[in-house]
Amino acid sequence: MSSVAVELPPNYANEEHTIGSWLLTRDHKRIALLFFASITVFFFVGGFAATLMRLHLATPQGLLQPSVYNRMFTMHGVVMVWFFLIPSIPTTLGNFFIPMMIGAHDLAFPRINLASWYVFNLSGLVLLYALVMGGVDTGWTFYTPFSTLYSNSYVFAAAMAVFINGFSSIMTGLNFVVTIHRLRAPGMTWVRLPLFVWGIYSVSLVMLTATPVLAMDTVLLAVERFIGVGLFDPRRGGDPLLWQHMFWFYSHPAVYIMILPAMGVVSELIACYARRPIFGYAGMTIAMMSIAILSFFVWAHHMFVAGISIYSAVVFSLMTYFVAVPSAIKVFNWTVSLHKGRIIFDAPMIYALGFVLLFTIGGLTGLMLATLAIDVDVHATYFVIAHFHYIMVGATVSAFFGGLHYWWPKMTGRFYPEMWARFAAILTFVGFNLTFFPQFILGYLGMPRRSYTYPPEWQAWNVLSSAGASILAVAYLLPLFYLGWSLVWGRRAGPNPWGATGLEWTTSSPPPKENFERTPVVKLGPYSYDPERGSYITQDGVRHA
Amino acid sequence: MPSRTIAPELQYADLAQQGDTAQLGMWVFITTETLFFGALLFTYFLYRNAYPHQFALAARDAVLWCGSVNIGLIMTSSLTMVLAINAAADGRRRALANWLLATAFLGVCFLAVKGFEYYLDYGDHVVPAVNFIAKPGEAPAGELFWVFYFVATGLHAIHLTIGVGLVLYILLWRVRRGEITSVYYAPLEVVGLYWSFVDTVWLFLFPAIYLVGRS
Amino acid sequence: MKRAAGRDPALLFVVAWLVLVLLTGISIWTAFLGLGVFAPAVQFGIAATQAAILFILFMRLKGPPSLKWVFAGSGFFWLLFLYGLSFTDYATRQGWPHR
Repeated sequence: MSSVAVELPPNYANEEHTIGSWLLTRDHKRIALLFFASITVFFFVGGFAATLMRLHLATPQGLLQPSVYNRMFTMHGVVMVWFFLIPSIPTTLGNFFIPMMIGAHDLAFPRINLASWYVFNLSGLVLLYALVMGGVDTGWTFYTPFSTLYSNSYVFAAAMAVFINGFSSIMTGLNFVVTIHRLRAPGMTWVRLPLFVWGIYSVSLVMLTATPVLAMDTVLLAVERFIGVGLFDPRRGGDPLLWQHMFWFYSHPAVYIMILPAMGVVSELIACYARRPIFGYAGMTIAMMSIAILSFFVWAHHMFVAGISIYSAVVFSLMTYFVAVPSAIKVFNWTVSLHKGRIIFDAPMIYALGFVLLFTIGGLTGLMLATLAIDVDVHATYFVIAHFHYIMVGATVSAFFGGLHYWWPKMTGRFYPEMWARFAAILTFVGFNLTFFPQFILGYLGMPRRSYTYPPEWQAWNVLSSAGASILAVAYLLPLFYLGWSLVWGRRAGPNPWGATGLEWTTSSPPPKENFERTPVVKLGPYSYDPERGSYITQDGVRHA
Repeated sequence: MPSRTIAPELQYADLAQQGDTAQLGMWVFITTETLFFGALLFTYFLYRNAYPHQFALAARDAVLWCGSVNIGLIMTSSLTMVLAINAAADGRRRALANWLLATAFLGVCFLAVKGFEYYLDYGDHVVPAVNFIAKPGEAPAGELFWVFYFVATGLHAIHLTIGVGLVLYILLWRVRRGEITSVYYAPLEVVGLYWSFVDTVWLFLFPAIYLVGRS
Repeated sequence: MKRAAGRDPALLFVVAWLVLVLLTGISIWTAFLGLGVFAPAVQFGIAATQAAILFILFMRLKGPPSLKWVFAGSGFFWLLFLYGLSFTDYATRQGWPHR
């Protein structure tokens, strides 16, 4: 491995150096990096809150005042959901690679792409204002009537931050949908699209149809909070559950917004590092589109004990069982894709395999939660927290890191140090399970979520969880260091260091500003790997031994 | 006025693809707006269904003549907008400018009538939390009708104002610089789609607000 | 007025506008007829008809089914999920409406 600093030839990143050329860029690749910077900042803000929480929860008496603890879990949720998980893969890897994977020179609306970044940061500033002024203590779900009538925190500002953030989501989703419909290169039919593109397409549909309902809900929340009317106040004819219905109509599909792009990434990783086509391409695409649609039918499974009617609860429970089916199909297909492959245990593959296992555990526990009789006992306990962290962190964040490593040479023209990356990936898996598996047990034992204290007999599990969190923190910090190192001293990477088949690997690393010298012509489907012969064919029809 | 040769952006093969894609983009945006206002109407239908009598009592105070004048204005503005697009397709620049001006003017008239109506509403004591006196039999849900009224018409007015801004932008910037020609007038079509959508929203708000409890 | 390339003639739009105005008039008239619970169905039905005229004619959806049709309709279609599934709660919940 070379540790001499090497200059890169002219590419999208070094063509122009001025601040203006970055802040006013229309290049989707630069915008992806701008987003990457923003979401990384928010990841550490949300992570900081989590750190304080786990330090606090190591003992029953804790470290923080209860009101401060309440602000910590709220901040953690709001920041991680809207400012990290929802934008992460779409605005970074999606922005960078969707045009390249479909053979286009940019997204359909480059200026809207840039505007999306500015709107995102504006919403971040509004949230920062709320945090600095004293924070919010309602939980990221802003349930009424606490949030409208009784909370003495900056609910209005936080709701406005979420409202503005939604526009960023909508702009991004709109851009991807239109781009994928209209800007595919000649020969790039829908059935030749890589599964990552399908993942981004399906997630964009969800973003577009779910976010506006949240936008309206936050407007109504703001109106009630600011002006003092009774939309969610039973004494004045309102229904507090109306907030929840509209909130979860968005927020349940939102969790699928978080997982669908990750599923797309994992398909790319498994195909490349097992040197095999993904099993069941049609099933995988139908599954992703089904998940996108079915995700809209299940929202009130968050409200089973909130006061909805039992008949409604039965309907939503049944729907939730249905939505698990396409996810399970995907897990089967990923597993079968490994069979007779030539598996390479590089960091991206370790992250991908971790994804499959952690997603399976998260998904199965989701089915447990969908079961009314079980949910009555474990609703609003650490069981739920463990469930969604298995998916959002165990799965989505692993997929994000896996994709980041996989595409790192393409984006930067540099290799990351493989041994460090493998170590970080394994450490992530270990730290994650140590952090969150004890929380399943705690939830089953009855520890409620959002509680600043707990009975002393549960301390052992909490200590295990906090210990795991410290390992996880190291695992997440490591890439910051070695990826940063690689930018200067990393070994130079060629156009296709992993021997992958997508169109993005047919151009130089880093790519030129216009992505391709000439618009590519697509000859085949996405995963033409031949594991027996060890050869592969990129989508432009060029065979490589 | 000069006429410039417009080139498609880097990612488009030709202007036709660019124009068609821009229109598709606006349709996608309209989908999100349908859901946005549709969610608001959801709360309206929910509460109207739960409290039909109280809503009917409260809605009697809605100023029907203002709403009716406004629906007339906004439907006419959709007509003038579409005639503007016809003029652009024909290359008739003077007519294009005039029809756009008419559209913007009708939009401003709408806002003026709305503003006057808000003034009347204030005098009628129907502004929730600010100046609200519940009529007998109307409490508590009657106030919810008026919350819906102000949120819905307020959001609509914001959208309409943005629309007027867009029309003026097309008129004073794009048309003046000769960038709207019979060869390529997609930016105008995109604004036209947005404009007609804002009209559509009012078509649904009108019966929700002005035709409740009148008999 | 001569016909613009690929555009409908102005007369068609003027006629459509007259239809829209007429429908509005009918809608207002129905408000005073005492239709009771059918009034909203009639009035919103008229509104939907007017919206269809705007979408198909003014917003140029007419012609063979296209991708724009899908997006134009999907907003309304998606609202059915919100309205319909929420209905399973609001129609059957004991404590609703609050009295």
